[in-house]
Amino acid sequence: MADTAVDVHRGEPHGHDDHHHGPQGLLKYLWSTDHKIIAMQYLFTGMAMAVIGGYMAYVFRMQLAFPGISVPGFGQVSPGEYNSLVTNHGSIMIFWVAMPVLIAAFGNYLIPLMIGADDMVFPRINRLSYQIFLLSALILLASFFVRGGGFGGAWTAYPPLSAVGSYNQTQIGATMWLIAVALEFVAFLLGGINFITTLMNSRAPGMKAYDIPLVCWMIVIASILFMLSVGPLIAGAVMLLFDQTLGTGFYDPARGGDPVLWQHLFWFFGHPEVYVVLLPAIGITIEVIATFARKKIFGYKLVLYTTVATGVLSFFVWAHHQFVAGIDPRMANVFTITTLLISVPIAELLFVIIATLYGGSIRLTTPMLWALAFVAEFLIGGVTGIYLGASGADIYFHDTYFVLAHFHYTFFPIAIVGTFCAFTYWFPKMFGKMMNDTLGKIHFWGTIIPFNFIFIPLFVLGIGGQHRRIYNYQHFPELAGPGMYRLREVATISLLIMLAFQLVFFYNCITSWMKGARAGRNPWKANTLEWTTESPPPHGNWPPDQMPNVYRGPYEYGHPDREEDYWPQHQPT
Amino acid sequence: MAENNEHHDGHDGGHHVNYFAIYVALIVLFLISVAGPEIGERTGWRWLTLITAFGIAIVKARLVINNFMHLKWEKRIMKWLLTTSLILMALFVAGVSPDVLNHEGTNWDNTAAKEATARGLSDEVEPGEVITEVATAEAGTFSAEASFNTVCATCHGVAGDGTGPAGAALDPAPANFTDPAFWDERDRDRITTVIRDGAVAVGGSPLMAPWGPLYNAAQLEEMTDYVMSFRPGG
Amino acid sequence: MAHAKPLATLRSATGIPTGRLAVWWVLASEVVIFGGLLGSYLMHRIGHPEWAEAAAHTQTWIGALNTFVLLTSSFTAVLAHQAAEKGNGKEAAKLLGFTILGAITFLIVKSFEWANEISHGYTITANTFWSFYYTAAGLHALHVIAGAIIMGVVAVDAYRGRELHRVELIGIYWHFVDVVWIFLFPLLYIAK
Repeated sequence: MADTAVDVHRGEPHGHDDHHHGPQGLLKYLWSTDHKIIAMQYLFTGMAMAVIGGYMAYVFRMQLAFPGISVPGFGQVSPGEYNSLVTNHGSIMIFWVAMPVLIAAFGNYLIPLMIGADDMVFPRINRLSYQIFLLSALILLASFFVRGGGFGGAWTAYPPLSAVGSYNQTQIGATMWLIAVALEFVAFLLGGINFITTLMNSRAPGMKAYDIPLVCWMIVIASILFMLSVGPLIAGAVMLLFDQTLGTGFYDPARGGDPVLWQHLFWFFGHPEVYVVLLPAIGITIEVIATFARKKIFGYKLVLYTTVATGVLSFFVWAHHQFVAGIDPRMANVFTITTLLISVPIAELLFVIIATLYGGSIRLTTPMLWALAFVAEFLIGGVTGIYLGASGADIYFHDTYFVLAHFHYTFFPIAIVGTFCAFTYWFPKMFGKMMNDTLGKIHFWGTIIPFNFIFIPLFVLGIGGQHRRIYNYQHFPELAGPGMYRLREVATISLLIMLAFQLVFFYNCITSWMKGARAGRNPWKANTLEWTTESPPPHGNWPPDQMPNVYRGPYEYGHPDREEDYWPQHQPT
Repeated sequence: MAENNEHHDGHDGGHHVNYFAIYVALIVLFLISVAGPEIGERTGWRWLTLITAFGIAIVKARLVINNFMHLKWEKRIMKWLLTTSLILMALFVAGVSPDVLNHEGTNWDNTAAKEATARGLSDEVEPGEVITEVATAEAGTFSAEASFNTVCATCHGVAGDGTGPAGAALDPAPANFTDPAFWDERDRDRITTVIRDGAVAVGGSPLMAPWGPLYNAAQLEEMTDYVMSFRPGG
Repeated sequence: MAHAKPLATLRSATGIPTGRLAVWWVLASEVVIFGGLLGSYLMHRIGHPEWAEAAAHTQTWIGALNTFVLLTSSFTAVLAHQAAEKGNGKEAAKLLGFTILGAITFLIVKSFEWANEISHGYTITANTFWSFYYTAAGLHALHVIAGAIIMGVVAVDAYRGRELHRVELIGIYWHFVDVVWIFLFPLLYIAK
């Protein structure tokens, strides 16, 4: 295959460096099996989908704050369109932004580099997984243009609403959505197998299990969680598809089916899924914190075993999403206990991070700010989850905006803060240029401050009884008062400010890539193996005779015997 | 860690497995698993059916997995992995069966399910007969009345008189199509416009939302017809 | 078409060859897919004793025949592995060919079985028992088809003496397909 003889600057996603190969250049990028190219493809697709998902949030928040308004850039929002917007916003952000960026993009990019391999062990399956993923994204986007529009039955797709077209009013969109989600699952199953087998088998000589950078462990454990939890939902999705298209009655009580079964199938996956996206974000945070506190992680094995315990426990908490769905109350008791229990290992991970910072020599670079923000914001998200995990309190909170604020205080740090943290940290490696740190900080503050002003009002609204998935609160007298109205306004205006500041990020990306200072191999003076090769790395990552060996763990910062405050993994003792 | 040649077959020193013997054992077990339930049915020993059918299935599966798939000689971690998958499935069934196996609640009776069960157990059911209590909406057929009752009646009421449950809180109140005064200055075109673009399009309240995306042109006409059918005097 | 294999594929920190490691992970994910489907079926079946009437119409003898066919095909698959271990690509390809023949036989028998059942009115929408029946057996049949296709590709390579280690890998997958059927058979045909 021609991709073995490729120009050195393969890591860059745009074609104009590729003068050796003329018009074949673009095709080579599309057909490449290089893990770095595939990572870029996932990254840019994910970011494009994030723009679309963010646009949807803009539209429906405008409708919520100013009901009946003709939203600039969309028009008036009908109730059906509102349902489609919130459904697809949620689906896109979880399945087509958080997962591809955190797992597929950074997993693909980092794992071979950080373990000293030249590529993933199954490059062609890697390429296939991206192609299937892209197809799933295109099907989802196409669903917005069919009659009835995009699926409007909520991202959780409970039947009978999701099974019967005349109930959800988006019959074709519903089936397309389901097929898109199923394809996305297949893509991530394929990708996950690549990550797991590559990490298990293809490490550099000398790299023992406890020398692997934690972000690689996190991505692989997340992939394992995904693979083991998605099966029942795939089965359930097939059944839902048949209910939608063939008229079977898997979820129809009148035909001997059970709609609660879908809920169980969905959440048996859905809960481990949130840890699937959380773990990579924590891993990224840990890498950045170690580098910019110039300090060893407080407890490598502690983090690893705690993460495994979290993963195991995550399979035992799923029905906390169903406390008021009519499940057996004895099960509700069990799930309350397990849900409250799972907050312990996660809190422990945050404590480890804080302990790592203590006594460190902290550099507040842009990636470090994002990492610290992750800890602070996720803490709020996690703590508010405890209210929801208690089934008694959840009777009030379920389906209110309290839930929504809780999961945005967890998902936003994971998907957005985590992405910006990773992106600003590894940008020098990926593109060979340094990002402008001042612009980075402006973007950071312009994102984090408004973020809090969006979602804290939503906590208050939730406590005030505002239900989810209602397109116009003026229809509910007890929710239509000026106080509630004001809170919705504040949230929406903060969103507008936050969206405006994202322009700073795009501007920074483009100008840094075009005119930024050249980054050397290791601008952050970090220890892990990706910083030993060129920026961006060539195809094969290192010359075949210079593949690195490993002599120590990844976080040897501030070692007392050394003059330098860091000790790269590949330097012989 | 050792680097291995990719053609290494993972066996620790040439295990010789008599595949034919395993195959014969599988066939014998298979024959028993078919014969057992036959005997069980004739003698009424249900336990015989269950033991032979499922018990033997487990034995056969173990034979195939251990000997044909060579799991017996595989590194332990793979056994752990497969065992974990099975345990998760058991966990799933354990966690879900209190709900799915239970067709009643503590405070309510599921008469529909009971009737369906009774009918299914009776001899009146023809093969292929769809047992259904509720007429589920057929995919692809449009009924203006059904759509009105789903989408519009919450505010306008099933009788089109503005007394739908959600309408009570609204100001201005939802239109009463049975009131002659409503029709004083409203013609068919205006009704269609309001359904499609919302009342704001004719200077009315944003509380009457646009429903255009729900209907194609023909369906919009049918909805207009249906609303006009409430007009007193036809 | 030659493809340069990354150096990464030559390493094996676990001692398990990378290809086989991947197949085991694929199987783990398949276990939870079929487990979810069959677990759901089991719970419904236990909760709906009235489905016994519908279930009585599955054709046990045809199911038994298919079980026999799959068991035999597993046997030929493992013999193919044995041949591949000895480096005999042509023999392995021939035995894989018999396995594929078994797969085709299975599918033909199933087509007749389903055609027969559908013509009697036992369609996928007739009763939720039949919905599960067709879905479970259908998902399994999809895996049979996919397996047979991949096996064909492996057999062609093996005949030319190439990539012989893949004979074992497709064999492991094939045995799994057989094991799923070993459980489907009692669930759908015997323990009604």
